Amino acid sequence: MKRRTKKLLRNWRIILLTLFLIGSIATLALKPLTFGIDISGGVALVAQTEHPVDTKTMQLVVDSLQKRLNTLGLRDITVEAQGDQIVLIKVANVTSPEEANQIKSVIESQGVFYMEFTGTVFGTGSDVEYVGIYKINPDNSWSVPFRISKSAAEEFAELAYGKKGWPVDMFLDPPVNSLMVVPESVYKAMNSSEFNAEAPEAPTLLERIGKAFNISVVAYANQSADEIAKLAQGKEKIVLVDVPGELQTELEGMNLTVRYVPRAQGESDHALIVRVLGLYGPYSLGEGLTVGEPQQDVQITGSAPDRLTAEQEASTIYTVLKSGSLPVKLSVVGMEFISPRLGEGFRTQAVYAGIGALITVLLIVYFHYRKWRIAIPVASTSLFEAIIILGFAALIKWNLDLPSIAGIIAAIGTGVDQQIVITDELLGGEKTTKISRRSSVLKRMGRAFFVIFASAATTIAAMSFLLVYFVGTLKGFAFTTILGVLIGILITRPAYAEIAKYLLGED
Amino acid sequence: MSKSKPKSKPSTNSVRAKKQEKLSFLARMEYRKMIMYPLAVFVIALILLAVNFPTLGIDLRGGVVVTAYGVDANPDELGKYISDKIGVDVRVESFTGVKASGVRVYAPIGTDPLKIIDAMKDEYPNAEYTHSEVQPTFGEIAQQQGIRALVFAFLAMAVVVFLFFRNLVPSLTIIFSALSDMTIAVALMGIFGIELTTATIAALLMLIGYTVDSNILLTTKLLRRKEDSIDKAYLSAVSTGFTMSTTTLGALLILWIISTSQTIDNIAIVLIFGLLADFMNTWVLNAGVLKWYLTREAARGGKA
Repeated sequence: MKRRTKKLLRNWRIILLTLFLIGSIATLALKPLTFGIDISGGVALVAQTEHPVDTKTMQLVVDSLQKRLNTLGLRDITVEAQGDQIVLIKVANVTSPEEANQIKSVIESQGVFYMEFTGTVFGTGSDVEYVGIYKINPDNSWSVPFRISKSAAEEFAELAYGKKGWPVDMFLDPPVNSLMVVPESVYKAMNSSEFNAEAPEAPTLLERIGKAFNISVVAYANQSADEIAKLAQGKEKIVLVDVPGELQTELEGMNLTVRYVPRAQGESDHALIVRVLGLYGPYSLGEGLTVGEPQQDVQITGSAPDRLTAEQEASTIYTVLKSGSLPVKLSVVGMEFISPRLGEGFRTQAVYAGIGALITVLLIVYFHYRKWRIAIPVASTSLFEAIIILGFAALIKWNLDLPSIAGIIAAIGTGVDQQIVITDELLGGEKTTKISRRSSVLKRMGRAFFVIFASAATTIAAMSFLLVYFVGTLKGFAFTTILGVLIGILITRPAYAEIAKYLLGED
Repeated sequence: MSKSKPKSKPSTNSVRAKKQEKLSFLARMEYRKMIMYPLAVFVIALILLAVNFPTLGIDLRGGVVVTAYGVDANPDELGKYISDKIGVDVRVESFTGVKASGVRVYAPIGTDPLKIIDAMKDEYPNAEYTHSEVQPTFGEIAQQQGIRALVFAFLAMAVVVFLFFRNLVPSLTIIFSALSDMTIAVALMGIFGIELTTATIAALLMLIGYTVDSNILLTTKLLRRKEDSIDKAYLSAVSTGFTMSTTTLGALLILWIISTSQTIDNIAIVLIFGLLADFMNTWVLNAGVLKWYLTREAARGGKA
């Protein structure tokens, strides 16, 4: 008897289980579990990029969103790219629905920002490293200081060498890669030196946007929709500015992407152009920047007729610089807000439900076998399994959300099933003689573990697809399921088999 | 301890024997019927799906939902009240749990959830509010992903089952059982008005894991059996399976009762549907096919 107990305790499977158990409890004690938004409270937002992007661009989106939300003073933010079009943003410690909505609008108002000079984009929003507080002078001139990245500064220094007074443009969400159809007067303005700051010899706005953004502009002279469609070949979209509205329906009928911009009442050509292009500027290049020396600290200056206008202009530029740092346009396609108090309720419920389920398992297993010697090991092995899964989750700082908890439940559910398979195989040996018993146990265990491995393999195979390239919340589910199944077949199931063999006297 | 062994052992075995006896009606069933009945249920489930497919939840379809905990109200009256106040038609549903009860307000996409909350705050200032909204475009992505996940998970399961058994008829039966489990579970969702959401898709994926378990157990027992007769092997498998299913069902039921989280509730209930369907599909359909298969093999003088 004693020898058997010792043998059991020295069994490597039992030792392994004990080690993992101690390790998990220690981890849980040192590193508290992190919970998902749906449990701890907070807001989860799903944003989608305008079109699919490559990994590098996606990383830029993630970085800039992170930066942007950090500047809002929010903490506990996770921004995660999923696939080539989806970004998942989670912000914890959001307490009111209003605050949640504010975060949403911040993300949505973030535009794609470009800095352009002589038709070359030398920096985007991600090159803006710091924006200073704007200043309004008594003469109603204003300035917004900001810092650009080293690479942007270097490129700009090279481009701007010796070009004092030339126009620097900034754009927020320009209609990249498009065909613009505009009234004759608008075309003329764009093709003149009207947007050239103090350098008539610089390329016109028309040339600059053509080179920088692949925007072609044509003057409207009663062209038919067919003719316009032909001109727009290879472009992403057509922008119709202040031209007859029927064109829009006709072009859309040809399955083309069309944006229609009517002229606002009393809007000048200049104002219309600025609005359609998302143009800020042009700003005239000061002498200090044209000597070929890269300068990271720069400022935009301007002047206005009165103090209020100056204030507005400066604050607009300030906001644009501060917020415009996305390489591609984003829109929020889904959001979920859970109040922290409610999350707390879910957490206690999860604990109750877990304990309740465990007791149920204990009682039902007892009812089936009428033996606490089976029921207690089965239930406690499940408990150990849960502890080890949670320990792992704490160790790698996995965010436990509701789907993850569902995954743990799934893993434990199959765990109990498999322990019953082992138990029944062991109990089934009543007919065999003592001599053949030992080999019979091995065979039976072999059969039990065949079943266990086969079902574990199917579960893992099925779930790995989810884990690898599924977008959305099911990742957590897949992860904990796989983790649970692995812990089950590698650690807890073999240990349970040993314990069951010992307790059922089949050693 | 070792002395008490001979005493307690028969008691467990007698319980097992009794259980097997109770379940022996299954063993006596003719395999033709065992195949026919579940197939009939499968067809009925398909028809039900065609007529009454579960509605898509807002995470797959798009929409706005505001959940208020700690609100005890008549859903119809509250719905009318909110609709009047914000000028948008809303649908209100109430729910109860062990500790909290509340309502969910569903509104079409484009509705400002804050307006609904404001309207409700006038009446229920102390309620706890949460809200979520999903654009149809994202719902579409989620739908596609959900379908893809189900299809791939299913295929992966099928491949692994084939690799493990390398035997056409038993493998196909397992795969069909899993398909039928999922179909019946979805049909029941339609009947009981449970929405198809990412959570319930997760539950359907979980079903793959659960159902394959019992089917693999049965197939292994029957194909590699040591008992002398098919019926005995079947009975020993079915009694294990019965224990497995009741344990899981019990745990799920507790989960369903205790939780007020819609996600967990729905996952639990869908799994319960699937496990009930699986009981039939494993121990009747799959067993019937295997019996037929093994008798045929035996008649041919095969290894069975």
